[in-house]
Order: sequence, then C-alpha cells, then structure tokens
Amino acid sequence: MPRFFSNKRLILLLVGVIVLVALISFSLRDRQNASFPERIVKDVVGFGQSFFSKPAHYITGVIGNIDGVLNTYEENKKLKARLSEYAAIQSELVDVQAENDNLREIINKNDNLRAFDPVHATVISRNPDQWEEKIIIDKGEAHGIKRNMAVITASGLIGKVINISSTTSTVELLSTENRNFRVSAVVPGKDPAYGLIEGYDQMRGELIMKRIDSSFDIKVGDKVISSGLGGIFPKGLSIGEITEVSTDDYGLTKLAYIRPAAKFSMLDHVIVAMRKSETVDGTDGGGTAGTEGEDGS
Amino acid sequence: MIRSIIPLVAVLLFFLEPVFSLFSPIEVGDTLFILVPRFVIVYLVFIAVYYSRQRAIIYGIVFGLLYDMFYIDIIGLYAFLYPLICYIAAGIIRYVHKHIITVMILTLLLVALLEVLSYSFVSLIALTSIEPDIFMTTRLAPTMIANSLFVIMFGWIFKKLIDNRVLLKGSEAL
Repeated sequence: MPRFFSNKRLILLLVGVIVLVALISFSLRDRQNASFPERIVKDVVGFGQSFFSKPAHYITGVIGNIDGVLNTYEENKKLKARLSEYAAIQSELVDVQAENDNLREIINKNDNLRAFDPVHATVISRNPDQWEEKIIIDKGEAHGIKRNMAVITASGLIGKVINISSTTSTVELLSTENRNFRVSAVVPGKDPAYGLIEGYDQMRGELIMKRIDSSFDIKVGDKVISSGLGGIFPKGLSIGEITEVSTDDYGLTKLAYIRPAAKFSMLDHVIVAMRKSETVDGTDGGGTAGTEGEDGS
Repeated sequence: MIRSIIPLVAVLLFFLEPVFSLFSPIEVGDTLFILVPRFVIVYLVFIAVYYSRQRAIIYGIVFGLLYDMFYIDIIGLYAFLYPLICYIAAGIIRYVHKHIITVMILTLLLVALLEVLSYSFVSLIALTSIEPDIFMTTRLAPTMIANSLFVIMFGWIFKKLIDNRVLLKGSEAL
C-alpha cells in the first residue's frame, strides 16, 4: 500500500504545481483591472484591514507627537530665522498668482494643467512581503479614483494608482523597480528640460530621470516636478532634487539621479490628485493607448 | 467561542501583519533594513506541529490565497508556499522531540526557508534585482531578528492555546 500512497501524493503535487503555474502566469499578465472575485476579496479584506490600521496610525501619531514636542525648541529657532523670508515669498506668490489668473482670463484659457481635486486617503496596509513597493489605501472607485492617478504626500509625489476595487486601491510607489513605471517630469526654468522618471536605484535610494535632450542644461541641485504632459498627472507635483548628471548608456541623451522629495517609509496619510483638465492615456499611464496590448514589455 | 478560537487568532495575525509592515523599512544610517512580519506562517507551523497537519495545510491554502489576492496580486505564490511550509514542518517534527524550544527553532528555520523561497521566486520573475548577499544583510537578517522576537513572545501562548483546544476536543470525543 505505501507505493499507492506515494503515487497519489505525487499526482497531487504535480496537479498542484500545474495549477500554481497557470494561476501565476494568469496574474502576471499585464492586467488592466482586478477580476470579479478579486475585487470582492479586496473589498472585504480592506474593510477588515481598516479596523486594524486606524489604531496603529493613532499610536504612531502619538509617538510622532512626543517626538515633535522634544524637538520643538531647536525647530522653533530655525523656523523663526526663515519666517521673514517666508512672508516676503508669500506676498510675492499671492501677487504672481493673481496676475496669472488675470492673464488667463484675458486670453480666455480656463484649463489649467496644475489644477487638481485632492482626495485624502489613509494607508491601510503596505504590501507585507515588501518585494514590490505597494501600499493599499482606503479610497476606491466609489470615491472617483481611477487607474494611473498621481498619489502625493505633503512633501511630493510618491506613486500612482495601479489597481482599484470599489473601496480600496493599490498604489505603486516611485521606488519600484518596475520598468513600465514612467512619470513625465520637467526641470523648470527659462528653458525647461523635459525627461522621464524611469527606474529607481536601490543602492543609492534615488530615482533615475532619463531621456533628457543633451542640449538642455541641467545642474546638480535643480528641482524636478511632474510636467503634466504624461496625460494623467497634474503639473507641478514636486518629485525631487538632482544629485548627479551623467549621460545614458548610448551617450545620446542625459541622465540624472534625483533624490526624491517625499519619504517612502512610514506613509500614513496620502492624497490622490485628480486632475481637473481632460486626461489622456499617455506616458504616465500604461503606455500610449494605441500600443496598449501589443507592447507587453 | 473556544471552538473557533484557532481560526480567529489566524485572522487576527493575518490582519496584524501589514500593520507591522507599515513600520518597515527602517533606516539606520544610510541603509534601509526591511522587516517582513511572518506571523501567520509562525502560527501555522505551530498548528501543524501541535494540532493537525491537515488543518494547517487547509488554513495555509486559505490564508495564502487571501494574501495573494489582497496584497501581492500574484495569485498562487503564497497559496503554494504556506501549505508547503506546513507540510515540511509536519514531516520534520516526526523526527525531533516536540519540546517548545525545538519547535521555536524549527519555526524560525522555516520562516528563513520561506523568505529564501520567496526571494528566489521574485528574482526569477525579475521583480527585484538585489544581489543575494545584499538580500542576506538588509532583508533576511532583520526579518529573522524581528520574527524571533515574535516567536519568543508568542510561542508559549500559541502552544497553550492549541493544547487547550486539543484537550477540549479529546474530552468531547470521550
């Protein structure tokens, strides 16, 4: 009889492996949306998850507050030094903004790439095995979230929405190694330098901005913001600061390393930026709409 | 209540895992250390050792599937690894004494095995490009330290919990 048992076990194992390979290859395909059973699981588990993550955020909030109180004196000194500078910049900003609005009115252009509706969301979990840089937030389709929307914190861009169900959505962070993750970015200035944020250097902890035309002049220390030309992201979301400029592998275009403005660890509250002007599926999306499906790489 | 306490604890741990992963990665100096909470598999190994192998494998499939669908988006990865680890645990425990210390060490070894298996899988499908030695220092080592703390704190409780359940079952059968 033991022979029979081992045969049965072998068959069970083989069937298991076949099912596993089939399921994995099914889920590794570049899927546009979660399937129906997945959506149900995501909603139900997300509901339970939010019960557990809220007290955790409360506790980290309290610890953060204590930490803040301890540093108050030092911080206060620093901030006071910058206060006068801040007031000057503030009044200038108000002036410039008013002028900008007036000029827009004169030329009858109401559409603004910079304008977006913020949707505040709480991070209910981080992908626990942490191979892919993903977080799950408690807002979904029911709150108007769509795929590829930009996700930011107060300090800057952190990622984009890659998967939605009706009450949760999955956000892939900028620090991912996924090569299909692109963000159209710009170094603002008199001659703005356009490029694509493509890839993340794990060792340096910095983003890589590629395909910058070599005629553009970019320097270490320049700020990088989203360009709004990728189709979905609003313009002007802070991405980071250039730390090194070099040429790419073929020597045709420039490549810059960017220290991200936002921190990717300890995320609790994030904002999903819903652009007000019309959106198209461009670089910030899964690729141009025309090549979708053909281009799997 | 006591009847469903074992699956309830598993559900609780399942939800606690991502809450703890919110604290990771930890930045010490210039390097990021990644801590992966593996509470569910620790509990499942305890079930496999002290309760029943079959139960552990069924829970492994269910929680693995939920884990895959909600967090990982690669269906089938943990739904396969969790039961596999439980199976190995039940196989090994036949040859060693079921003392709590040996079970704890076995659990930690299996957590390390799970971590290595998941690393080899994600590097196979090119989700990550980190080198094995960097994986060892920034991921495996901190993960093992964090999980051994968890095992030391909760191993006794798990054992007691499962023993109570087994006793209850024994008295029901009589």
